[in-house]
Amino acid sequence: MTLSRHDLFDDVAVRLDGVSLRYDTSEDILSGIDLVLKPGSFSFLTGASGAGKTSLLKLLYLALKPSQGEVSLFGRPTSRLTRDQLSALRRRVGVVFQEFRLLDHLTAYENVALPLRVLGRKESTYRSDVEELLAWVGLGERMHARPPTLSGGEQQRVAIARAVVTQPDILIADEPTGNVDPEMGSRLMRLFLELNKRRATTVIIATHDLGLVRQVEAPVFRLQHGLLVQDVEYGPVARRRTDIAKAAE
Amino acid sequence: MAKETPLLPVEDAREMALFFVVGALCFLAALATLSAKSTYGAARSWTAEVEGELTVSLPDADRRGAESARKLIESTEGVKEARLLSKAEIDALLEPNFGSRGLPESLPLPQLIAVTAEPDAQFVGPTLERRLTEAGFANAVDEHADWAGDVRRMLSIARLVALTAVALLASTAIAVIAFATHAALLARRDIVDVLHLAGARDRYIAGLFERRFWLLGLRAGAVGALLALGAAAAMIFAVHSSGARTGLLPELSLDFQDLLILVLTPVIAGLAARIAARMTVIRSLKSVM
Repeated sequence: MTLSRHDLFDDVAVRLDGVSLRYDTSEDILSGIDLVLKPGSFSFLTGASGAGKTSLLKLLYLALKPSQGEVSLFGRPTSRLTRDQLSALRRRVGVVFQEFRLLDHLTAYENVALPLRVLGRKESTYRSDVEELLAWVGLGERMHARPPTLSGGEQQRVAIARAVVTQPDILIADEPTGNVDPEMGSRLMRLFLELNKRRATTVIIATHDLGLVRQVEAPVFRLQHGLLVQDVEYGPVARRRTDIAKAAE
Repeated sequence: MAKETPLLPVEDAREMALFFVVGALCFLAALATLSAKSTYGAARSWTAEVEGELTVSLPDADRRGAESARKLIESTEGVKEARLLSKAEIDALLEPNFGSRGLPESLPLPQLIAVTAEPDAQFVGPTLERRLTEAGFANAVDEHADWAGDVRRMLSIARLVALTAVALLASTAIAVIAFATHAALLARRDIVDVLHLAGARDRYIAGLFERRFWLLGLRAGAVGALLALGAAAAMIFAVHSSGARTGLLPELSLDFQDLLILVLTPVIAGLAARIAARMTVIRSLKSVM
Protein backbone atom coordinates (compact mmCIF):
# COMPACT_ATOMS: atom_id res chain seq x y z
CA MET A 1 0.00 0.00 0.00
CA THR A 2 1.41 3.40 -0.96
CA LEU A 3 0.73 6.38 1.26
CA SER A 4 0.28 9.67 -0.57
CA ARG A 5 0.18 13.25 0.61
CA HIS A 6 -3.47 13.35 -0.40
CA ASP A 7 -4.25 10.52 1.94
CA LEU A 8 -7.85 10.59 3.16
CA PHE A 9 -6.75 10.24 6.77
CA ASP A 10 -4.53 13.31 6.75
CA ASP A 11 -6.71 15.32 9.16
CA VAL A 12 -4.04 14.89 11.85
CA ALA A 13 -0.38 15.08 10.93
CA VAL A 14 0.98 13.68 14.20
CA ARG A 15 -0.80 12.03 17.08
CA LEU A 16 0.77 10.56 20.20
CA ASP A 17 -1.55 8.60 22.47
CA GLY A 18 -0.22 7.74 25.94
CA VAL A 19 3.30 7.35 24.64
CA SER A 20 6.01 6.28 27.07
CA LEU A 21 9.62 5.54 26.27
CA ARG A 22 12.33 3.83 28.21
CA TYR A 23 15.74 2.58 27.16
CA ASP A 24 16.53 -0.93 28.39
CA THR A 25 15.62 -1.23 32.04
CA SER A 26 16.01 2.42 32.97
CA GLU A 27 13.18 4.66 34.13
CA ASP A 28 10.78 6.17 31.63
CA ILE A 29 12.36 9.00 29.62
CA LEU A 30 8.93 10.00 28.44
CA SER A 31 5.76 9.15 30.25
CA GLY A 32 2.16 9.12 29.01
CA ILE A 33 2.68 11.74 26.31
CA ASP A 34 -0.42 12.88 24.42
CA LEU A 35 0.17 15.19 21.50
CA VAL A 36 -1.74 16.25 18.41
CA LEU A 37 -0.19 18.31 15.61
CA LYS A 38 -2.57 19.43 12.90
CA PRO A 39 -1.41 19.57 9.28
CA GLY A 40 0.14 22.97 8.61
CA SER A 41 0.76 23.71 12.30
CA PHE A 42 3.95 25.28 13.61
CA SER A 43 5.14 24.40 17.12
CA PHE A 44 8.15 24.52 19.35
CA LEU A 45 9.41 21.93 21.77
CA THR A 46 11.46 23.13 24.69
CA GLY A 47 12.80 21.70 27.89
CA ALA A 48 16.00 21.43 29.85
CA SER A 49 18.90 19.36 28.60
CA GLY A 50 18.16 15.68 29.13
CA ALA A 51 14.42 16.34 29.37
CA GLY A 52 13.84 13.97 26.44
CA LYS A 53 13.35 16.40 23.53
CA THR A 54 15.53 14.39 21.16
CA SER A 55 13.89 11.14 22.26
CA LEU A 56 10.45 12.59 21.58
CA LEU A 57 11.58 13.78 18.16
CA LYS A 58 13.01 10.31 17.43
CA LEU A 59 9.56 8.88 18.08
CA LEU A 60 8.09 11.43 15.68
CA TYR A 61 10.50 10.65 12.85
CA LEU A 62 10.08 6.92 13.44
CA ALA A 63 13.58 6.14 14.60
CA LEU A 64 12.28 4.59 17.81
CA LYS A 65 9.29 2.54 18.84
CA PRO A 66 7.50 3.69 21.98
CA SER A 67 7.61 1.35 24.98
CA GLN A 68 3.92 2.07 25.44
CA GLY A 69 1.23 3.92 23.53
CA GLU A 70 0.84 4.67 19.87
CA VAL A 71 2.46 7.08 17.43
CA SER A 72 0.31 7.90 14.42
CA LEU A 73 1.38 9.90 11.38
CA PHE A 74 -1.23 11.16 8.92
CA GLY A 75 -3.84 9.07 10.71
CA ARG A 76 -1.85 5.84 10.43
CA PRO A 77 -0.96 4.04 13.66
CA THR A 78 2.67 3.23 12.96
CA SER A 79 2.71 0.05 15.06
CA ARG A 80 0.47 -1.60 12.47
CA LEU A 81 2.47 -0.65 9.39
CA THR A 82 4.85 -2.82 7.39
CA ARG A 83 8.47 -1.80 6.97
CA ASP A 84 7.82 -0.57 3.43
CA GLN A 85 4.88 1.51 4.66
CA LEU A 86 7.06 2.99 7.41
CA SER A 87 9.66 3.90 4.75
CA ALA A 88 6.93 5.58 2.72
CA LEU A 89 5.93 7.60 5.79
CA ARG A 90 9.53 8.60 6.52
CA ARG A 91 9.74 10.07 3.02
CA ARG A 92 7.08 12.58 4.06
CA VAL A 93 9.12 13.67 7.07
CA GLY A 94 12.18 15.92 6.85
CA VAL A 95 14.56 15.85 9.79
CA VAL A 96 17.27 18.28 10.87
CA PHE A 97 19.40 16.32 13.30
CA GLN A 98 21.09 18.06 16.19
CA GLU A 99 24.40 16.47 15.18
CA PHE A 100 23.69 17.12 11.46
CA ARG A 101 24.43 13.52 10.35
CA LEU A 102 25.96 14.53 7.06
CA LEU A 103 27.83 11.90 5.06
CA ASP A 104 31.47 12.96 5.03
CA HIS A 105 32.36 11.32 1.72
CA LEU A 106 29.64 13.20 -0.17
CA THR A 107 29.78 16.85 -1.18
CA ALA A 108 27.35 19.41 0.27
CA TYR A 109 25.39 19.18 -3.00
CA GLU A 110 25.23 15.36 -2.80
CA ASN A 111 24.23 15.46 0.87
CA VAL A 112 21.33 17.77 0.09
CA ALA A 113 20.31 15.63 -2.89
CA LEU A 114 20.47 12.40 -0.87
CA PRO A 115 16.71 12.09 -0.10
CA LEU A 116 15.95 12.65 -3.79
CA ARG A 117 18.49 10.02 -4.76
CA VAL A 118 16.84 7.60 -2.32
CA LEU A 119 13.54 8.33 -4.06
CA GLY A 120 15.14 7.15 -7.29
CA ARG A 121 15.03 10.52 -9.04
CA LYS A 122 17.48 11.23 -11.82
CA GLU A 123 20.07 13.86 -11.08
CA SER A 124 19.07 15.95 -14.08
CA THR A 125 15.55 16.39 -12.64
CA TYR A 126 16.66 17.97 -9.37
CA ARG A 127 20.02 19.59 -10.06
CA SER A 128 18.75 23.15 -10.39
CA ASP A 129 16.45 22.83 -7.35
CA VAL A 130 19.30 21.62 -5.14
CA GLU A 131 21.66 24.31 -6.41
CA GLU A 132 19.02 26.97 -5.81
CA LEU A 133 18.36 25.71 -2.31
CA LEU A 134 22.07 25.66 -1.49
CA ALA A 135 22.39 29.22 -2.82
CA TRP A 136 19.43 30.25 -0.66
CA VAL A 137 21.08 28.95 2.53
CA GLY A 138 24.25 30.80 1.51
CA LEU A 139 26.26 27.81 0.33
CA GLY A 140 26.15 28.39 -3.42
CA GLU A 141 29.93 28.69 -3.52
CA ARG A 142 30.53 25.74 -1.22
CA MET A 143 28.31 23.12 -2.82
CA HIS A 144 31.22 20.93 -3.87
CA ALA A 145 32.91 21.03 -0.47
CA ARG A 146 32.74 17.99 1.77
CA PRO A 147 31.37 18.31 5.34
CA PRO A 148 34.74 17.97 7.12
CA THR A 149 35.87 21.16 5.37
CA LEU A 150 32.71 23.08 6.30
CA SER A 151 32.21 25.10 9.50
CA GLY A 152 29.59 24.02 12.05
CA GLY A 153 27.18 26.65 10.78
CA GLU A 154 27.69 25.61 7.17
CA GLN A 155 27.13 21.97 8.05
CA GLN A 156 23.93 22.94 9.84
CA ARG A 157 22.68 24.77 6.77
CA VAL A 158 23.45 21.74 4.59
CA ALA A 159 21.52 19.58 7.05
CA ILE A 160 18.55 21.96 6.89
CA ALA A 161 18.65 22.07 3.10
CA ARG A 162 18.66 18.25 3.04
CA ALA A 163 15.66 18.14 5.36
CA VAL A 164 13.55 20.47 3.22
CA VAL A 165 14.68 19.47 -0.28
CA THR A 166 11.80 17.03 -0.74
CA GLN A 167 9.31 19.60 0.55
CA PRO A 168 8.17 17.22 3.29
CA ASP A 169 4.74 17.24 4.90
CA ILE A 170 6.33 17.30 8.35
CA LEU A 171 9.58 19.03 9.24
CA ILE A 172 11.23 18.06 12.50
CA ALA A 173 14.22 20.10 13.55
CA ASP A 174 16.39 19.45 16.59
CA GLU A 175 18.18 22.68 17.61
CA PRO A 176 18.34 23.87 13.98
CA THR A 177 19.91 27.22 14.75
CA GLY A 178 22.34 26.13 17.42
CA ASN A 179 25.47 26.71 15.34
CA VAL A 180 24.56 29.74 13.24
CA ASP A 181 24.72 33.46 13.93
CA PRO A 182 21.48 35.31 14.84
CA GLU A 183 21.10 36.69 11.30
CA MET A 184 21.35 33.22 9.72
CA GLY A 185 19.13 31.88 12.51
CA SER A 186 16.41 34.37 11.57
CA ARG A 187 16.85 33.55 7.90
CA LEU A 188 16.49 29.83 8.53
CA MET A 189 13.46 30.49 10.69
CA ARG A 190 11.93 32.40 7.75
CA LEU A 191 12.59 29.33 5.58
CA PHE A 192 10.72 27.15 8.06
CA LEU A 193 7.85 29.67 8.21
CA GLU A 194 7.74 29.89 4.43
CA LEU A 195 7.53 26.11 4.15
CA ASN A 196 4.84 26.14 6.79
CA LYS A 197 2.77 28.85 5.11
CA ARG A 198 3.26 28.07 1.43
CA ARG A 199 3.16 24.29 1.57
CA ALA A 200 1.24 23.81 4.80
CA THR A 201 4.20 21.84 6.11
CA THR A 202 3.77 20.80 9.73
CA VAL A 203 6.82 22.13 11.55
CA ILE A 204 8.05 21.22 15.01
CA ILE A 205 11.28 22.69 16.26
CA ALA A 206 13.09 21.62 19.41
CA THR A 207 15.16 24.45 20.77
CA HIS A 208 16.68 26.04 23.83
CA ASP A 209 16.69 29.41 22.09
CA LEU A 210 13.82 31.37 23.63
CA GLY A 211 14.71 34.32 21.42
CA LEU A 212 13.87 32.15 18.45
CA VAL A 213 10.64 31.01 20.07
CA ARG A 214 9.57 34.61 20.68
CA GLN A 215 9.88 35.44 16.96
CA VAL A 216 6.88 33.29 16.09
CA GLU A 217 3.37 33.12 17.45
CA ALA A 218 3.20 29.37 17.86
CA PRO A 219 2.34 26.84 20.54
CA VAL A 220 5.24 25.84 22.72
CA PHE A 221 5.40 22.37 24.23
CA ARG A 222 7.66 21.94 27.18
CA LEU A 223 9.07 18.65 28.42
CA GLN A 224 9.53 18.40 32.14
CA HIS A 225 10.35 15.23 34.06
CA GLY A 226 9.22 13.11 31.13
CA LEU A 227 5.85 14.87 30.90
CA LEU A 228 4.71 17.19 28.13
CA VAL A 229 3.01 20.47 28.98
CA GLN A 230 1.86 23.24 26.65
CA ASP A 231 3.41 26.57 27.55
CA VAL A 232 1.67 29.68 26.17
CA GLU A 233 3.89 32.33 27.76
CA TYR A 234 5.98 32.84 24.62
CA GLY A 235 5.53 34.35 21.19
CA PRO A 236 4.94 37.92 19.96
CA VAL A 237 1.41 38.17 21.39
CA ALA A 238 2.57 37.06 24.84
CA ARG A 239 5.54 39.38 24.59
CA ARG A 240 3.31 42.32 23.61
CA ARG A 241 1.00 41.47 26.51
CA THR A 242 3.96 41.49 28.87
CA ASP A 243 5.18 44.80 27.42
CA ILE A 244 1.73 46.39 27.86
CA ALA A 245 1.53 45.15 31.44
CA LYS A 246 4.97 46.59 32.15
CA ALA A 247 3.99 49.94 30.56
CA ALA A 248 0.80 50.09 32.67
CA GLU A 249 2.86 49.67 35.79
CA MET B 1 27.96 16.97 -14.03
CA ALA B 2 30.48 14.63 -12.45
CA LYS B 3 29.58 11.03 -11.80
CA GLU B 4 27.63 10.50 -8.56
CA THR B 5 29.73 9.47 -5.59
CA PRO B 6 28.80 5.98 -4.36
CA LEU B 7 26.66 6.14 -1.22
CA LEU B 8 28.96 3.61 0.43
CA PRO B 9 32.49 4.96 0.59
CA VAL B 10 35.34 2.74 -0.52
CA GLU B 11 37.25 1.52 2.50
CA ASP B 12 40.71 0.80 1.13
CA ALA B 13 42.43 -0.95 4.03
CA ARG B 14 39.47 -3.01 5.23
CA GLU B 15 38.42 -4.03 1.74
CA MET B 16 41.95 -4.85 0.62
CA ALA B 17 42.28 -7.23 3.57
CA LEU B 18 38.96 -8.86 2.73
CA PHE B 19 39.89 -8.99 -0.96
CA PHE B 20 43.09 -10.83 -0.04
CA VAL B 21 41.30 -13.31 2.25
CA VAL B 22 38.51 -14.05 -0.24
CA GLY B 23 41.03 -14.33 -3.08
CA ALA B 24 43.17 -16.77 -1.08
CA LEU B 25 40.13 -18.83 -0.10
CA CYS B 26 38.96 -18.93 -3.73
CA PHE B 27 42.45 -20.02 -4.81
CA LEU B 28 42.42 -22.86 -2.27
CA ALA B 29 38.82 -23.80 -3.04
CA ALA B 30 39.50 -23.87 -6.80
CA LEU B 31 42.61 -26.01 -6.34
CA ALA B 32 40.76 -28.33 -3.96
CA THR B 33 37.91 -28.66 -6.46
CA LEU B 34 40.31 -29.42 -9.31
CA SER B 35 42.04 -32.01 -7.12
CA ALA B 36 38.72 -33.51 -6.07
CA LYS B 37 37.64 -33.74 -9.67
CA SER B 38 40.87 -35.39 -10.80
CA THR B 39 40.66 -37.77 -7.82
CA TYR B 40 37.17 -38.72 -8.95
CA GLY B 41 38.37 -39.28 -12.51
CA ALA B 42 41.36 -41.31 -11.40
CA ALA B 43 39.22 -43.30 -8.99
CA ARG B 44 36.83 -44.23 -11.75
CA SER B 45 39.60 -45.46 -14.07
CA TRP B 46 41.49 -47.35 -11.34
CA THR B 47 38.35 -49.13 -10.19
CA ALA B 48 37.42 -50.00 -13.77
CA GLU B 49 40.90 -51.33 -14.41
CA VAL B 50 41.05 -53.39 -11.24
CA GLU B 51 37.55 -54.75 -11.61
CA GLY B 52 38.12 -55.84 -15.22
CA GLU B 53 41.29 -57.84 -14.60
CA LEU B 54 41.49 -61.47 -13.46
CA THR B 55 44.38 -63.88 -13.14
CA VAL B 56 43.87 -67.58 -13.70
CA SER B 57 46.44 -69.85 -12.09
CA LEU B 58 46.84 -73.43 -13.40
CA PRO B 59 49.14 -75.28 -10.93
CA ASP B 60 49.28 -78.64 -12.71
CA ALA B 61 49.19 -77.61 -16.35
CA ASP B 62 52.15 -77.60 -18.74
CA ARG B 63 52.59 -74.97 -21.44
CA ARG B 64 50.44 -76.82 -23.99
CA GLY B 65 47.64 -77.47 -21.49
CA ALA B 66 47.76 -73.85 -20.46
CA GLU B 67 47.36 -72.75 -24.09
CA SER B 68 44.23 -74.88 -24.51
CA ALA B 69 42.92 -73.47 -21.23
CA ARG B 70 43.58 -69.96 -22.57
CA LYS B 71 41.50 -70.76 -25.67
CA LEU B 72 38.73 -72.10 -23.48
CA ILE B 73 38.84 -68.92 -21.40
CA GLU B 74 38.86 -66.66 -24.44
CA SER B 75 35.78 -68.43 -25.80
CA THR B 76 33.91 -67.75 -22.57
CA GLU B 77 31.21 -65.10 -22.70
CA GLY B 78 32.24 -61.83 -21.07
CA VAL B 79 35.95 -62.32 -21.72
CA LYS B 80 37.58 -59.71 -23.89
CA GLU B 81 41.10 -61.07 -23.92
CA ALA B 82 43.12 -63.90 -22.36
CA ARG B 83 46.91 -63.94 -22.49
CA LEU B 84 49.26 -66.66 -21.29
CA LEU B 85 52.11 -65.09 -19.31
CA SER B 86 55.63 -66.00 -20.40
CA LYS B 87 58.28 -67.38 -18.02
CA ALA B 88 60.03 -64.01 -18.07
CA GLU B 89 56.83 -62.23 -17.08
CA ILE B 90 56.25 -64.65 -14.21
CA ASP B 91 59.86 -64.15 -13.08
CA ALA B 92 59.30 -60.38 -13.17
CA LEU B 93 56.17 -60.73 -11.05
CA LEU B 94 58.05 -62.76 -8.46
CA GLU B 95 61.17 -60.59 -8.52
CA PRO B 96 60.15 -58.49 -5.49
CA ASN B 97 59.96 -61.69 -3.43
CA PHE B 98 62.76 -63.86 -4.89
CA GLY B 99 65.26 -61.39 -6.33
CA SER B 100 66.45 -60.72 -9.86
CA ARG B 101 68.53 -63.85 -10.43
CA GLY B 102 65.56 -65.84 -11.51
CA LEU B 103 63.98 -68.94 -10.04
CA PRO B 104 65.47 -72.44 -10.04
CA GLU B 105 64.21 -74.51 -12.93
CA SER B 106 63.23 -77.24 -10.49
CA LEU B 107 60.81 -74.99 -8.66
CA PRO B 108 57.30 -75.82 -9.87
CA LEU B 109 55.46 -72.69 -10.98
CA PRO B 110 51.84 -72.47 -12.02
CA GLN B 111 50.96 -71.30 -15.51
CA LEU B 112 49.32 -67.88 -15.35
CA ILE B 113 46.75 -66.45 -17.70
CA ALA B 114 45.91 -62.74 -17.54
CA VAL B 115 42.26 -62.24 -18.39
CA THR B 116 40.59 -58.95 -19.33
CA ALA B 117 36.83 -58.98 -18.96
CA GLU B 118 34.37 -56.97 -21.02
CA PRO B 119 33.53 -53.70 -19.21
CA ASP B 120 29.99 -54.66 -18.22
CA ALA B 121 30.51 -58.41 -17.87
CA GLN B 122 29.35 -60.00 -14.62
CA PHE B 123 30.26 -63.23 -12.79
CA VAL B 124 33.21 -63.85 -15.15
CA GLY B 125 35.35 -65.31 -12.34
CA PRO B 126 32.90 -68.03 -11.18
CA THR B 127 32.05 -68.92 -14.80
CA LEU B 128 35.72 -69.41 -15.68
CA GLU B 129 36.29 -71.44 -12.54
CA ARG B 130 33.36 -73.74 -13.40
CA ARG B 131 34.27 -74.19 -17.06
CA LEU B 132 37.95 -74.90 -16.32
CA THR B 133 37.01 -77.43 -13.64
CA GLU B 134 34.59 -79.11 -16.04
CA ALA B 135 37.40 -79.30 -18.61
CA GLY B 136 39.65 -80.99 -16.03
CA PHE B 137 41.96 -78.09 -15.18
CA ALA B 138 42.88 -77.59 -11.55
CA ASN B 139 42.62 -73.84 -11.28
CA ALA B 140 42.42 -70.80 -9.10
CA VAL B 141 40.82 -67.60 -10.36
CA ASP B 142 41.96 -64.42 -8.64
CA GLU B 143 39.59 -61.49 -9.17
CA HIS B 144 41.87 -59.19 -7.14
CA ALA B 145 38.90 -58.73 -4.85
CA ASP B 146 40.95 -57.83 -1.79
CA TRP B 147 43.10 -55.34 -3.62
CA ALA B 148 40.11 -53.85 -5.46
CA GLY B 149 38.36 -53.53 -2.11
CA ASP B 150 41.38 -51.73 -0.65
CA VAL B 151 41.53 -49.42 -3.65
CA ARG B 152 37.82 -48.65 -3.41
CA ARG B 153 38.09 -47.91 0.31
CA MET B 154 41.10 -45.68 -0.28
CA LEU B 155 39.33 -43.86 -3.10
CA SER B 156 36.22 -43.35 -0.98
CA ILE B 157 38.37 -41.75 1.70
CA ALA B 158 40.19 -39.62 -0.88
CA ARG B 159 36.86 -38.47 -2.34
CA LEU B 160 35.49 -37.68 1.10
CA VAL B 161 38.59 -35.71 2.04
CA ALA B 162 38.49 -33.75 -1.22
CA LEU B 163 34.78 -32.99 -0.87
CA THR B 164 35.19 -32.03 2.78
CA ALA B 165 38.05 -29.69 1.86
CA VAL B 166 35.94 -28.03 -0.85
CA ALA B 167 32.92 -27.73 1.47
CA LEU B 168 35.04 -26.36 4.32
CA LEU B 169 36.78 -23.81 2.14
CA ALA B 170 33.53 -22.70 0.52
CA SER B 171 31.75 -22.35 3.87
CA THR B 172 34.75 -20.55 5.37
CA ALA B 173 34.73 -18.09 2.48
CA ILE B 174 31.00 -17.46 2.97
CA ALA B 175 31.44 -17.06 6.74
CA VAL B 176 34.31 -14.61 6.25
CA ILE B 177 32.29 -12.60 3.77
CA ALA B 178 29.27 -12.55 6.09
CA PHE B 179 31.46 -11.43 8.98
CA ALA B 180 33.10 -8.74 6.85
CA THR B 181 29.72 -7.51 5.62
CA HIS B 182 28.51 -7.24 9.17
CA ALA B 183 31.67 -5.34 10.15
CA ALA B 184 31.24 -3.04 7.14
CA LEU B 185 27.63 -2.46 8.12
CA LEU B 186 28.59 -1.59 11.68
CA ALA B 187 31.33 0.72 10.43
CA ARG B 188 28.80 2.40 8.14
CA ARG B 189 25.95 2.48 10.62
CA ASP B 190 25.79 6.27 10.28
CA ILE B 191 25.16 6.03 6.54
CA VAL B 192 22.63 3.24 6.99
CA ASP B 193 20.77 5.30 9.61
CA VAL B 194 20.66 8.41 7.45
CA LEU B 195 19.44 6.44 4.43
CA HIS B 196 16.90 4.62 6.59
CA LEU B 197 15.54 7.87 8.03
CA ALA B 198 15.48 9.44 4.57
CA GLY B 199 12.95 6.76 3.64
CA ALA B 200 15.20 4.26 1.90
CA ARG B 201 13.63 0.82 1.88
CA ASP B 202 15.53 -2.12 3.36
CA ARG B 203 16.15 -3.63 -0.07
CA TYR B 204 17.60 -0.33 -1.32
CA ILE B 205 20.12 -0.24 1.53
CA ALA B 206 20.82 -3.97 1.19
CA GLY B 207 21.31 -3.40 -2.55
CA LEU B 208 24.16 -0.99 -1.88
CA PHE B 209 26.00 -3.61 0.19
CA GLU B 210 25.06 -6.39 -2.22
CA ARG B 211 26.59 -4.58 -5.20
CA ARG B 212 29.71 -3.75 -3.23
CA PHE B 213 30.28 -7.32 -2.05
CA TRP B 214 29.21 -8.94 -5.34
CA LEU B 215 31.95 -7.00 -7.12
CA LEU B 216 34.45 -7.70 -4.36
CA GLY B 217 33.68 -11.45 -4.44
CA LEU B 218 33.79 -11.48 -8.24
CA ARG B 219 37.16 -9.72 -8.42
CA ALA B 220 38.74 -11.64 -5.56
CA GLY B 221 37.37 -14.90 -6.97
CA ALA B 222 38.80 -14.08 -10.41
CA VAL B 223 42.22 -13.43 -8.92
CA GLY B 224 42.00 -16.67 -6.87
CA ALA B 225 40.90 -18.65 -9.94
CA LEU B 226 43.70 -17.21 -12.07
CA LEU B 227 46.24 -18.11 -9.40
CA ALA B 228 44.77 -21.63 -9.21
CA LEU B 229 45.02 -21.89 -13.00
CA GLY B 230 48.66 -20.82 -12.82
CA ALA B 231 49.40 -23.30 -10.02
CA ALA B 232 47.69 -26.17 -11.85
CA ALA B 233 49.47 -25.32 -15.10
CA ALA B 234 52.80 -25.17 -13.25
CA MET B 235 52.17 -28.60 -11.67
CA ILE B 236 51.21 -30.11 -15.03
CA PHE B 237 54.25 -28.55 -16.67
CA ALA B 238 56.54 -29.79 -13.89
CA VAL B 239 55.22 -33.36 -14.20
CA HIS B 240 55.45 -33.37 -18.00
CA SER B 241 58.84 -31.69 -18.32
CA SER B 242 60.52 -33.98 -15.76
CA GLY B 243 58.91 -37.08 -17.23
CA ALA B 244 58.01 -38.03 -13.68
CA ARG B 245 55.50 -40.77 -13.19
CA THR B 246 52.84 -39.95 -10.67
CA GLY B 247 51.89 -43.58 -10.19
CA LEU B 248 48.59 -43.92 -8.49
CA LEU B 249 48.36 -40.22 -7.67
CA PRO B 250 45.69 -38.36 -9.61
CA GLU B 251 47.01 -36.03 -12.26
CA LEU B 252 45.66 -32.56 -13.02
CA SER B 253 44.60 -32.14 -16.59
CA LEU B 254 43.03 -28.68 -17.21
CA ASP B 255 40.38 -30.00 -19.54
CA PHE B 256 37.11 -28.21 -20.35
CA GLN B 257 35.52 -29.19 -17.03
CA ASP B 258 38.53 -27.89 -15.10
CA LEU B 259 38.36 -24.57 -16.94
CA LEU B 260 34.63 -24.43 -16.22
CA ILE B 261 35.39 -24.86 -12.49
CA LEU B 262 37.85 -21.97 -12.70
CA VAL B 263 35.37 -19.76 -14.55
CA LEU B 264 32.62 -20.56 -12.03
CA THR B 265 34.81 -19.88 -9.00
CA PRO B 266 34.53 -16.05 -9.13
CA VAL B 267 30.83 -16.24 -9.99
CA ILE B 268 30.16 -18.47 -6.98
CA ALA B 269 32.33 -16.23 -4.78
CA GLY B 270 30.45 -13.15 -5.99
CA LEU B 271 27.06 -14.78 -5.45
CA ALA B 272 28.04 -16.03 -2.00
CA ALA B 273 29.23 -12.55 -1.09
CA ARG B 274 26.05 -11.01 -2.44
CA ILE B 275 23.73 -13.39 -0.60
CA ALA B 276 25.73 -13.07 2.64
CA ALA B 277 25.60 -9.28 2.34
CA ARG B 278 21.87 -9.25 1.72
CA MET B 279 21.08 -11.57 4.62
CA THR B 280 23.35 -9.66 7.00
CA VAL B 281 21.98 -6.24 6.09
CA ILE B 282 18.32 -7.26 6.13
CA ARG B 283 18.75 -9.02 9.49
CA SER B 284 20.54 -6.00 10.90
CA LEU B 285 17.90 -3.55 9.64
CA LYS B 286 15.13 -5.68 11.10
CA SER B 287 16.53 -4.86 14.53
CA VAL B 288 15.69 -1.17 14.06
CA MET B 289 12.25 0.31 13.52
